[in-house]
Amino acid sequence: MIKIIHRMEWFIGLVLFQALVLNQMHIGGYATPFFYIYFILKFNSRVSRNNLMLWAFALGLTVDMFSNTPGMNAAAATCLAFFRAPLIRLITLRDMDEGFRPSVKALGFSSFFRYSLLTTSLFCTILLLIDTFSFFNPLVLIGKILTSVLSTMLCILCMESLGRKKG
Amino acid sequence: MRNLLNFFLKYNYWFLFILLEVISFALLFQFNHYQGSAYFTSSNRLAGWAYETANQVTGYFHLKDINNDLVKKNVELELQMERLREKLTELTADSSAIEQMKKDVLKEYDIYQAKVINNSLTHADNYITINKGENDGIRSEMGVIDGNGVVGIVYLTSANYSIVIPILNSKSSISCKIQRSDYFGFLKWDGGSSQYATVKDMPRHSLFSLGDTIVTSGHSAVFPGGIPVGTVEDIADSHDGLSYLIKVKLFTDFARLNDVRVIARKEQEELKNLEKQLKGGKK
Repeated sequence: MIKIIHRMEWFIGLVLFQALVLNQMHIGGYATPFFYIYFILKFNSRVSRNNLMLWAFALGLTVDMFSNTPGMNAAAATCLAFFRAPLIRLITLRDMDEGFRPSVKALGFSSFFRYSLLTTSLFCTILLLIDTFSFFNPLVLIGKILTSVLSTMLCILCMESLGRKKG
Repeated sequence: MRNLLNFFLKYNYWFLFILLEVISFALLFQFNHYQGSAYFTSSNRLAGWAYETANQVTGYFHLKDINNDLVKKNVELELQMERLREKLTELTADSSAIEQMKKDVLKEYDIYQAKVINNSLTHADNYITINKGENDGIRSEMGVIDGNGVVGIVYLTSANYSIVIPILNSKSSISCKIQRSDYFGFLKWDGGSSQYATVKDMPRHSLFSLGDTIVTSGHSAVFPGGIPVGTVEDIADSHDGLSYLIKVKLFTDFARLNDVRVIARKEQEELKNLEKQLKGGKK
């Protein structure tokens, strides 16, 4: 029960932070950090895929609601949740059934870095591909993806180092 | 049969995945193509409330710049009006005609004041949320302007909030003309910078030069004619070579949008009511 309340706190906090702070940020006219996927990244590795996808879908849809892009973030977040398990398996040699929350502490810095880089790149690519439907400009798209991945990674790593001090 | 069932059970997450993606894309396309529900957008009550609360804090940040802009604009207008008044009195020798004209301008339009509570710049399809909705008399397809120029057109409305399609949206298309020569074209946005847009379908024989002012044409029922849009920044040929593409530097600074006005032509409302009555009568 406490776990669920804790999770809801994170959910609401991340959505509000994304909507009120990060979505208003356009570093150099391009980059918007999508920090809210931290919520999906930090799920325990034992969580069932269906469960994770439903959470991701709800999270994406809530962010969509705030940014007037119905379905866009939901599609990308669901996709991220779907591919998270194979990605973890790809990166860590640890047994998935063991159950761990991906973090710098649990995986070591280089593994965690690769894990978050892969997931963030996947998410940003899908999201910005959907977003760019109307006018396709490969250079702008690549610029947007790179800067968004970079800024999102920065946020995740900051959060990670903060969390480590506390824990 | 059993194997098949086992197969489905084993890979059930595939079905959930596909289902969720289908729902997402259905929402996306529905929003992009029809004026559907405003439910999953920031004009719903929860998101609107959150944005309005945040805006009460952040709304003060740019006040100084905005004030400077307004004072500058006011002085400009004041000077312009003085000159025009002189000219007009010279021509008509009747000062009451000017007063009458002032009243006539306002007679045709309703003007609602609204605050921008959410705004985006970097998407291919940007939207603006304002804190006035149906309860305040806002309807879809009303024009939105700010102190500097055209902002966009109201798209969806809920009880207390509305979503505006600004110039910075692939769906936006606003009829405008060159102030000096009255040749007209359509204002579209091709992504990229939020400071520039493009006027398309400008005839090849039209006369204009760099720096000319572009204003709304008044050909549609949405905007009255003569509202400033931007200045000609660059000129290029269209792909088929039949018309000019004009790069326009917009007057409106979308990154700093705060107070806007929604303008509604009174006749438009009347017409809509009439149509409603007709439909009601049929039932």
